[in-house]
Amino acid sequence: MSTIEVGTRLPPLEQAANLTTSVMYAGASGDMNPLHYDPGFAAQVSPTGGTIVHGMYSMGLASRLVTSFAGGPERVLEVAVRFTKPWPLGTSATFGGEVTAIEDGVATLTLWGEHEAGERILQGSARIAV
Amino acid sequence: MALNRDKLGTSYPPYTYEVSREKIREYAMALGESDPRYFSDGDDCVAPPTFAACFTVVKGGAAAFADPELGSHPALVHGTQRYVYGERPVRPGDVLTCTPRIAGITARGRNEFLVIEVEARFADADELAVRSEATIVLLGSAPAAGEPDGQEVPA
Repeated sequence: MSTIEVGTRLPPLEQAANLTTSVMYAGASGDMNPLHYDPGFAAQVSPTGGTIVHGMYSMGLASRLVTSFAGGPERVLEVAVRFTKPWPLGTSATFGGEVTAIEDGVATLTLWGEHEAGERILQGSARIAV
Repeated sequence: MALNRDKLGTSYPPYTYEVSREKIREYAMALGESDPRYFSDGDDCVAPPTFAACFTVVKGGAAAFADPELGSHPALVHGTQRYVYGERPVRPGDVLTCTPRIAGITARGRNEFLVIEVEARFADADELAVRSEATIVLLGSAPAAGEPDGQEVPA
């Protein structure tokens, strides 16, 4: 990291979520809940009536943004998120963040994720060593 | 049926998770990661921070959900997730001892909020690898006295 100060923004990360990304994340994380890839199952239980992205996939993307900004996983001290709305499969989302405080070698960031219809899917924070 | 409040503070028996290079790779690929260390064959290989999902989310919840005295049910969504990391990232070959604990049971409106904490420690050093705190929202099972409010239903 070169110069970071309060107000520095993380470069936004955009990701399209589809059946492939969902099945890959299910296999990689071990979370095989069919809500994330089976439309028939999702029709019964989903809050949107359709398949939705793993919350942890969205956190993973937000964390990817933080980790790359921080300069590696050893500098990431904490990541915390709230999943505020479902992210429908077949849509894209953008993730971003901003430095809100720097104290004693630790920067605090806010994080957010928004799907293409403009709804907040994730809201969170992180602490990184600087 | 509502969650059993007496279960607050209950720890479940620890389980072991062994970190493999291929699993780190698979996880990093699923997130579209590009840091070469996640894909390295060498000693510099490390796991991305949310690789912790592999040993905390499903495995950590399993003990609680299998406990018939807790009274959970399958109509649930993941509400929040926090990871607090130890001194060094997870690497291939690490053996982690993971202890799940019921850290919170509350109700708001029609829903209940179950907080499951998992402390994952490096088995060889008895040192914290990561502490996970997940809020699971159980839909519609709150005791009848719950007051309605505008709590959003998360993913």
